[in-house]
Amino acid sequence: MLSAMQALDPAAHEAPEAAVARRIAEAAPGAARDAEAELYRLLAPRARRYGMRHLGDGAAAADLMQHVMALTIEQLRSGALREPERVASFVLGACRMTVIEQRRVERRRGELLARYADDVPIADIHVAPRLDHRRVADCLDRLPERERSVLVMTFYDDAPADAIAGEMGLSPGNVRVIRHRGLDKLRRCVDGGARAAS
Amino acid sequence: MAAGHVPIETLLAWWLHETDAAATDAVDEHLLRCDACGETLDALVGLAEGVRTAFKAGLVGAIVSGAFVARAAARGHRVREYRLAQNGGVDCTVAPEDELLVSRLQAALAGVERVDAILEFSHAPGVRHRIEDVPFDVAAGEVVYLPKIAEVKRAPANTHTVTLVAAQDGAERALGTYTFRHRPWPVG
Repeated sequence: MLSAMQALDPAAHEAPEAAVARRIAEAAPGAARDAEAELYRLLAPRARRYGMRHLGDGAAAADLMQHVMALTIEQLRSGALREPERVASFVLGACRMTVIEQRRVERRRGELLARYADDVPIADIHVAPRLDHRRVADCLDRLPERERSVLVMTFYDDAPADAIAGEMGLSPGNVRVIRHRGLDKLRRCVDGGARAAS
Repeated sequence: MAAGHVPIETLLAWWLHETDAAATDAVDEHLLRCDACGETLDALVGLAEGVRTAFKAGLVGAIVSGAFVARAAARGHRVREYRLAQNGGVDCTVAPEDELLVSRLQAALAGVERVDAILEFSHAPGVRHRIEDVPFDVAAGEVVYLPKIAEVKRAPANTHTVTLVAAQDGAERALGTYTFRHRPWPVG
């Protein structure tokens, strides 16, 4: 699984965020507002996803995103980020440190946010649209009973396979297989309905 | 998915905290530079939210575990529960504020390999709806059935039965028949 993924660093200098980060670093502090907004648009959704996964809460993830982007832009403006092309690595490190720090010292995170938040450009970022839950219900209806049960029990409170397996008298591997099959059918059904409606 | 991207089952495992530390770090790193995988994750999380919303709206029926019902109750969901002994019946209803309607169908399930459920409704006599291979809890000796509560709230007075059948090696045997005599709220 890991070998199939892109590594973080090898092609970092080619990524669009690298060029944008260089423009910010090379400009006078605060002079590259367009580039800062572009960097926000590129990296903020990624920081938000990290926050959603590691903090488990939309509001906390939004705070993390805002804090990390404020810190990143401040570091680029001041020249403290010496290799702007490695900005994605910096953002990941900042996300990790912020989550650790947040768990350890909640108060300090709030101070950083208060210090930089007003000075950060805010750009619209892509957030997946909400699905029509009636369409989702119709598609769930079409699944075999076990697949529907596993998906409902999984997504009700984001329960891992081990927990579902223990409750249903199945092996975790079996739950993952049922979950994968059900999810695949559900995605196709929901996507098909969305295409038909558009 | 194309080579170089994270398989969706890995994204889901990462989201559900099933991955070990090394795999979690690898996915964290990948998502910090791959918007295609990020958008796949967004769609997955959106789908999960859609399932949750549909379920909480009472639009989804499912057979679940007793532990799942306990989790829902612990989260503050208002649960109305009926426990039926083998071949039992019950006068039942659902209140407007109820959020989960739970039917616990008790049966001797030891040694059973597969259970099917056959539903019949008084408003459609002779029509049998068969649900194949339903989950069941051998230790608790029950099938925990959650009907679509939104439909039940709109339903007129009716009687319906659920028959549990053990299917094994091409043969079948009845495990029990359960009768629900539904009356709309408020029950007069």
